[in-house]
Amino acid sequence: MSGPGWPGKAAGPTGRDAHAGPAQPGAESGAARSDARVGPGWRDRSAAPAPTGAPVELIGVSRWYGNVVAVNEVSFELGPGITGLLGPNGAGKSTLLSMISGLLQPSTGTVAIEGRPTWRDPSIYRLVGLVPERESLPAYLTGRRFVEYNARLQRVLDPQAAAVAAIEAVDLMPAADRSIGGYSKGMRQRIKVASALVHDPRILVLDEPFNGMDPRQRLQMMELFRSMSEAGRVILFSSHILEEVERLAERILVVVAGRLAASGDFREIRRLMTDRPHTFTVRSSDGRRLAAALLGRENIFGVELNERGVTARTADYGGFSRAIAVVAREVGVTLYEVVPTDESLESVFSYLVGQ
Amino acid sequence: MSAGPAGGDVTASGGTGPASGGAGPASGGAAPARFGPRPFVTIVGVTARSVLSRRRTLLVLLFVAAPVLLALLARAVGADSEATPNVIAIALGDALILHVVLPIVALLFGTAVIGAEIDDGTIVYLLSKPVPRWEIVLAKLLVAEAVTLALLVPMTLATSLIVLAGAPGADLEIVAGSTVAVAVGAIVYVAIFVAMSVLTSRALVLGLAYVLIWEGFLASLFAGTRNLSVREYAVSIGGWIAGQNLADTEPIAVGFAAGLAVAVTVIAVAITIRTLGSFEVKDGG
Repeated sequence: MSGPGWPGKAAGPTGRDAHAGPAQPGAESGAARSDARVGPGWRDRSAAPAPTGAPVELIGVSRWYGNVVAVNEVSFELGPGITGLLGPNGAGKSTLLSMISGLLQPSTGTVAIEGRPTWRDPSIYRLVGLVPERESLPAYLTGRRFVEYNARLQRVLDPQAAAVAAIEAVDLMPAADRSIGGYSKGMRQRIKVASALVHDPRILVLDEPFNGMDPRQRLQMMELFRSMSEAGRVILFSSHILEEVERLAERILVVVAGRLAASGDFREIRRLMTDRPHTFTVRSSDGRRLAAALLGRENIFGVELNERGVTARTADYGGFSRAIAVVAREVGVTLYEVVPTDESLESVFSYLVGQ
Repeated sequence: MSAGPAGGDVTASGGTGPASGGAGPASGGAAPARFGPRPFVTIVGVTARSVLSRRRTLLVLLFVAAPVLLALLARAVGADSEATPNVIAIALGDALILHVVLPIVALLFGTAVIGAEIDDGTIVYLLSKPVPRWEIVLAKLLVAEAVTLALLVPMTLATSLIVLAGAPGADLEIVAGSTVAVAVGAIVYVAIFVAMSVLTSRALVLGLAYVLIWEGFLASLFAGTRNLSVREYAVSIGGWIAGQNLADTEPIAVGFAAGLAVAVTVIAVAITIRTLGSFEVKDGG
């Protein structure tokens, strides 16, 4: 499952992988507590451990606006590979990405890229390519000019060639000499990605990069990110489309109410949440008989017959996977398909949000 | 092209720039230039494009034409004993150009070079680059100053020459004085308005209030506040060159005015660089 560039979950530089802490019940209380203890402008430098030099590292990072806590005590490290940042609107995704890319000052804690704090250090941008969420682009430039402009700001040696290569990578050469003012949403997204790639950054930070792209462009962009990941690049992207995160990300960070609710492989996270029933849909030769047999088993909370077959809820993910075949054989039912119906990010996510 | 003073040349590995390379020319062949030229010229070019592509710039041209048209009108009507060409030239220069056209043109261009990018969010592409902030500010300032001066200096020259050239009893030193006054005022105003545009998102409104209320009214009211008025620096320096008073207020000593003009400009630029150095861009919602 994990791409070649991504060290295995356990072996990775990210030792704190795959924890699924229940989201802080009631973010307001957490916010109030932080505010009572530390006011804006307060910096906890002494308490924060020094950065280790990981490609991207957050140590106890919080950020508040007035009394509102946008990001609350978030710590993680990123290594090579593709990481998806997931969370509902207002969860603090954009704030996190802005702090990682040095455009926002953490209220407390440290954000470092290769061991160097990102705030007030423009030299880190040699390593970073940023695709902001906002659509606005200089409308008076052509796509080619805009990407070249970014290349020159990065002091790339051959900005023209670099711009062509980046625009080709996002498949926008046919529109390269048109004014950005006339670009469609998908074209704008792609030219933004080209401008972020033009200096071949080691770290790519993308805020909702697939917004406005059609499915074909989306697939192509995913292919591009995968190839960059295979080349050892660090890619962090946020998305509200769960299917995108599921398809592209090797690792997921779930942010809920400013807190890191979970991180790691999402199936892993899902399995760790043992207090939540798992749902399977089973298609078989005789759903009614299978349903009756399943009802008698322990760890089965509920069974439902519907047009897709039998939907069963269980507390034991692994146990059910093993037991279903045994039960089917006992009652003489042939299994056609066993699908964990709620293994989508959507359910992982809504579970975390609901906490 | 060695490492800049702000360390913009830090290499990808976090090592030092070429300045620390002690190996000397022997290793020159093995270490070709890693970076292209400083992006100063690039920033100037793209900024100039953005300023010239704005529709507002066209409106400014109409605005700038007003004193010239009024001068033509005054010349056509002719002078009388009360309104001599000198009086008309000074009145146009002070009441119209220095009080209205100069600060407003400076405001429009001063807020167009960085403020417009902050407003529409495209500043993020500039700030997320390994470019020292002083370099960004100086490039932006250069464009705003150049465009403002390129419009206002010829306009002032034309206005005062139309009124004065060949007119009986005309004092041509007023031409030089007015033009210098406008140039000085433009430089200081633009620096102030660029600073305002990074300090507040309402630079246009606040700048207008500052021009109308402070510069237009309060500053000339008392001797003490006059020292804090860009217009007073401009008319004092211009009046010194013209050899006569270019406004109906008492001028401040020319050396003092020049020193204050330089100080205000330098402080405004320093504030701009400092503010942009810790400028926060929150992306999206």
